[in-house]
Amino acid sequence: MSDETKIDLELDLKGLLCPLPMVRVSQNITNVPVDGVIRAVATDPGAMADIPAWAASTGHEVLSAGKEGDLFVFLVKRTK
Amino acid sequence: METVEMQTLAGVIDKKMNRQLKQYIDICARCAICKDACHQYVGTGDFKYLPARRAELIRQVYKKYFDKTGRFVPALYEARDPDDNLLDELYDSTYACTGCRRCMYYCPFSIDTAWILSVAKAVLIAAGRGNEMLGQLADAAIFKGDNVAMFEGVITSGFEEIAEEVRAITGNPDHGVPVNKQGADVLYVALAGAHSIRPAAVIFEEAGESWTISMFEAANYGYFYGDPEKARLITKRYIDEAVRLGVKEIVVPECGHAYRVAEFFYEAWSKEPMPFKVSHILEKVDDYIKTGRIKVDKGLIEGTVTYHDPCQLGRNGGKFEQPRDIVKAVTSNFVDLTPNRAEQWCCGGGGGIVAMEEFKDVRLKSGSKKVEQLKASGANILACPCENCRLQIEELNEIHELGMEIWQVIDLVVASMPLPGNKKSAGA
Ligand code: SF4
Ligand code: SF4
Repeated sequence: MSDETKIDLELDLKGLLCPLPMVRVSQNITNVPVDGVIRAVATDPGAMADIPAWAASTGHEVLSAGKEGDLFVFLVKRTK
Repeated sequence: METVEMQTLAGVIDKKMNRQLKQYIDICARCAICKDACHQYVGTGDFKYLPARRAELIRQVYKKYFDKTGRFVPALYEARDPDDNLLDELYDSTYACTGCRRCMYYCPFSIDTAWILSVAKAVLIAAGRGNEMLGQLADAAIFKGDNVAMFEGVITSGFEEIAEEVRAITGNPDHGVPVNKQGADVLYVALAGAHSIRPAAVIFEEAGESWTISMFEAANYGYFYGDPEKARLITKRYIDEAVRLGVKEIVVPECGHAYRVAEFFYEAWSKEPMPFKVSHILEKVDDYIKTGRIKVDKGLIEGTVTYHDPCQLGRNGGKFEQPRDIVKAVTSNFVDLTPNRAEQWCCGGGGGIVAMEEFKDVRLKSGSKKVEQLKASGANILACPCENCRLQIEELNEIHELGMEIWQVIDLVVASMPLPGNKKSAGA
């Protein structure tokens, strides 16, 4: 998925402790157009639950969430 | 705004106003002593951040609808409708308030402005003007709690990684992070971040504590948002888990508001007695050090260490001495900030304000007193338990080039423990 997906905004959330990665994604979601995608890279493992929970409760979509080495990488789509 | 809508909002005030709050509104002498106590007013000079002014907005609506003097001669008593202008001002003055209650400490009548502002938050939420970010954080926590199965895998694998780090630090292959251990004495309710679990796990394991962790976290943005029902639901998750696991004690992390919620508010919200003891992690650590359950070495931390009392833990939680005793146990070079304990200046980062981008400017300006205190201390290391305080002070540290190291107290404790894998060393 990540290979083909067009990324509208890259967010470097490395070093931020939870819940700040989720806060930054939320603050930036309106900086991409509807259907646009944010690629967020975090180092706090808590983000693996926080960002999907935020997306589920606000109605946005996590296209993928996974670990790449020491990093947690998310593709989040703005749905509305 | 429609008259009927304004009446509904005024009704929220009436419902929330108990005798004590009504008394606060009546007895304020407009002496403005509180203005010099509020870090936000001192840092910005902006009238809307003057504590008595914040409360005044609620008083004006109360007078208009529920007090005959205000009803009949509104102009004389500055009685007002909760219209859009009032709500705009109320939003700024309410959500910017860090709930530090320093104004209450200095007020000759001990008027609790932060409590009055909890009524303001209820009005704002009823008007659809609750802070969006805090509401989202609360909803995400509730969603996580309702869908534990969905997150169990990622949370557990995070615990496993932390357990490996714990073994590497302590050099003990039997150490780890026990998860959902039935019959443990202590349930540690951490924050979502690994930083609040790793050092606590090292300390619990080294102390030989019978402990466990669960899937639920202590942070409570429902409380900052101002919705007691959301706040209760977030807390209830770990209370229920503690009952299920049969623990004797809940230990909350360094986070100041989490301690206050568990220790002081939950029983009132749920109207149920807490079936176990609630402790702050620094109470436990202080006890482990004093009883010799963990060993700390004063020689491992270089430099001068000072301590910031987070408002929720200190002035509002009454925990002044245990954190200081811990810091004094890990260093011979401790200096206190001036003023300290109940008179401690709020750093400006509490109440969820670090998550609300719209208050960034007032937040940073309101840190001016903390910056003065830190500079005057001459310390190069700050021990600071609360997560929100640390975020704020780290930013102040950078902007004002203070050159300080900001440490969680339990990280400082682990750094001072003579452990084989201890690479982190303060002040070095
Ligand atoms: S110090 Fe107390 S009495 Fe004086 S203005 Fe402030 S809230 Fe009112
Ligand atoms: S509680 Fe703190 S931030 Fe709020 S008005 Fe009082 S002094 Fe200011």
